[in-house]
Amino acid sequence: MRRDLVDPIRFAPILVMAIVFLLVAMAFFVSIGKPPVRTLLDMVLFAAGDAYSLSETLVKTAPILLCALATIVPARLGLVSVGAEGQLFVGAIFGTAVVLAFPNTPAAILLPSMLLAGMIGGALWGFIPGILRGRLDANETIVTLLLNYVGVLLVNALVFGPWKDPRNLGWPATVSFPLAATLSGFFGTRAHLGLVFGILAAIGFGVLFAISRWGRELAVLKGNAKVGQMIGLSFGRQAMLVMSLGGALGGLAGICEVAAIQGRLQPGISVGYGLTGFLVAWLSGHNPVVAIVVSVLIGGLIAAGDSLQLYAKVPAASAIILQGLLFATALAVGGLAQRWKAARG
Amino acid sequence: MAIAASADKQPLIVMRGVCKRFGMVMANDAVDLDVFPGEVLALLGENGAGKSTLMRLLYGLYPPDTGRIEIDGRQVIFGSPRDAMAVGIGMVFQQFSLLPNLSVLENLLAASPRAPWWQGRRRPVMNDILVWLNRLAPKLDARRRVSDLAVGERQVVELAKVLNLDPRLVILDEPTSVLTPDETARLHGFVRHLAAEGKAVIFITHKIADVTSCADRVAVMRRGRLVEQGAATAKSSDDIVSAMVGRTVTSRATPVRLRSQVPRLQIIGLSTAAGHSNSPIRGLTLSVGGGEIVGVAGVVGNGQTALAEAIAGLMPLAAGEVTLDGVSLACLDSGLPPAISTIAYIPERPIDNAVVADLDVAANLELRRLRQRPFLGGSTGMDLAARLIAKYDVRPNNPRLAASSLSGGNLQKLVIARELSGAPDLLVACYPTMGLDLIAADSVRQRMFDHAARGCAVLWMSEDLDDLLQYAHRIAVLFDGRLVAVVPREQASRDRIGRLMAGIERQDHAA
Repeated sequence: MRRDLVDPIRFAPILVMAIVFLLVAMAFFVSIGKPPVRTLLDMVLFAAGDAYSLSETLVKTAPILLCALATIVPARLGLVSVGAEGQLFVGAIFGTAVVLAFPNTPAAILLPSMLLAGMIGGALWGFIPGILRGRLDANETIVTLLLNYVGVLLVNALVFGPWKDPRNLGWPATVSFPLAATLSGFFGTRAHLGLVFGILAAIGFGVLFAISRWGRELAVLKGNAKVGQMIGLSFGRQAMLVMSLGGALGGLAGICEVAAIQGRLQPGISVGYGLTGFLVAWLSGHNPVVAIVVSVLIGGLIAAGDSLQLYAKVPAASAIILQGLLFATALAVGGLAQRWKAARG
Repeated sequence: MAIAASADKQPLIVMRGVCKRFGMVMANDAVDLDVFPGEVLALLGENGAGKSTLMRLLYGLYPPDTGRIEIDGRQVIFGSPRDAMAVGIGMVFQQFSLLPNLSVLENLLAASPRAPWWQGRRRPVMNDILVWLNRLAPKLDARRRVSDLAVGERQVVELAKVLNLDPRLVILDEPTSVLTPDETARLHGFVRHLAAEGKAVIFITHKIADVTSCADRVAVMRRGRLVEQGAATAKSSDDIVSAMVGRTVTSRATPVRLRSQVPRLQIIGLSTAAGHSNSPIRGLTLSVGGGEIVGVAGVVGNGQTALAEAIAGLMPLAAGEVTLDGVSLACLDSGLPPAISTIAYIPERPIDNAVVADLDVAANLELRRLRQRPFLGGSTGMDLAARLIAKYDVRPNNPRLAASSLSGGNLQKLVIARELSGAPDLLVACYPTMGLDLIAADSVRQRMFDHAARGCAVLWMSEDLDDLLQYAHRIAVLFDGRLVAVVPREQASRDRIGRLMAGIERQDHAA
């Protein structure tokens, strides 16, 4: 069971992966005419060089970590959810609805109810593919993929329509959140409570998966649903549960992003956090505690990409290209590691 | 006779000093084996004795570590089965390699080197391709889809596929384990026929009956070594068994005397839905008393799975009822079995149906108690695991090992250990001794009988008719999802059960 928390076998490939990725990244910088080592060092500085850079990294980390958990919880039952993005948007809608409905409530009531509503929205967006899988055996990957579009478009429909603030002139967005509904940053930075939620959730689920009866039950159902049925465990019920729990975390990512960073509901509240979270989940071997570390690293990569674009004049797409290269490297090294393991028997 | 013939004949295959090691296990240890044209060699041994490994070396699936293989006096080194086929070696595997979605003809075409690249031009080769099939099974329609065929029929197609390559040596890997007595007899006859045509046949088996009815020569393997060779006629079955096991064996397991006739398990008019399995149960009525052992005989695929799963509460009933001491065992609307802790269930193919391969041995042994564990904490299950591993001789003796690293036989023992460790009122056991060596099988039987002696009702599905004839109080025969007969042991004979299994004879019974 301890093995579940820290798996030493995983570290060797990760080291190889990191080295290969650095080489690939440097090759990429050369290809766009930038000095490779300088640019790489710049990236590190932009990600963690000072308090501001670090806080920007953590700003990106929060939604990535929550979206990674939204993928990991269903993955513990063997479900492949790619729905964190949609859950994030629907969570944002539900949370915003509370704020718009009761804008004058004191923070002590408004903040928790807003966060709770966001989680309920996300949970609903997870429950739909969960029940479709549990009852009708519909493929959860495809359902979550399609619900992502619905979630994003629902936000558009609202902010272009009924929720649009007329004072914004043409700009599609709701009114700004009142102070009572704002998640303020720590120490004057933008790093916010969402990160704390993410870390607490990661540790909580990490412990549950490792030592609780529920964690074992999920492992049984994932490994062999027939055996689970034999001892009285319902795959369908667990599918609904893990999809809803994961959805709640995705929804929390959404409402935190709106309440802490954007200050209002508008399109584009996520820059692909859902998909990034999915990849982080995969990179961390569906281990919630490992996902914390990986989320910080990827958050740094994205934050540094933004800064590089501003100061080092690298193309805007560089951060996304680097992300893509990282995952391609991880896939390749992971595949090789597995082959190596198999060859050694 | 074959020995006399082979004395002045050149051997077709010569294996000398062949070794193959897998990790710590010496699967083949300096094996010397000759195979002559026109003879049937029965290769015997318990599971894990190295028979299959030896044949896979010969078939080019992997190379030997040391030693050499000669064909016609020339040394060969196979890179793949393709090379082995090229020199005339064909093998029929236990797990068939047919494509279930295609017709028999298409399967034979796909395997034939003479198959045209374009479907439209297959007509000229079609007759060639069907020659062997027509000899083996003249009544089998080559247009049928393989998925619709019975197991015995599939085996015939598999054999035809190999014979189409015109091999000089045919290797059959435990071919009779899935056949009815009739089909087995037909196969034996056909194997003799192949030998008469000058082909060499290696017949892997662990059934003595296969040796006595069709082998010229016997080779026995034990722990990777070839321990015994000789003419089939010169060996008694006791010789062969003790060579396989390494010592003289007397069956320890003793059948229990039937004490009470009070029915515990009652199945009335049971039918299972066709959508849930390929061979549903139709209108089956049967009862099993306390302490009674009812054997279920039938060719694989005649409803055994549906029957076992319906009783275990895993498959919805279309009609009828299943009760244990009056309490319904039927699958609930949720698809889950009712919470009754007094049933032990050993399903077929434990690796697919009864173990979680990713979890460790201790977790698998603890599965039945998992739901009773507190949400957090609770025992690690290590004490229980250590006790059961020792008692049931699960190897290797390490509760921390992932179940996936155990061999099939040890996984079987693991499942049996878990299911038989309590005090069940009903035991449903599907092929519990399949794949176990003689001693382990004997001890499993004994434990089943112990439960029966306590008053447990036992429903025992077996592929081994001799087992049922020797130990079961009554034998129920399934054919095409129906119970065609329930025969008390005293009135049962191999022939009679065989005819019932094949659907030739029917008996109206009152169960």
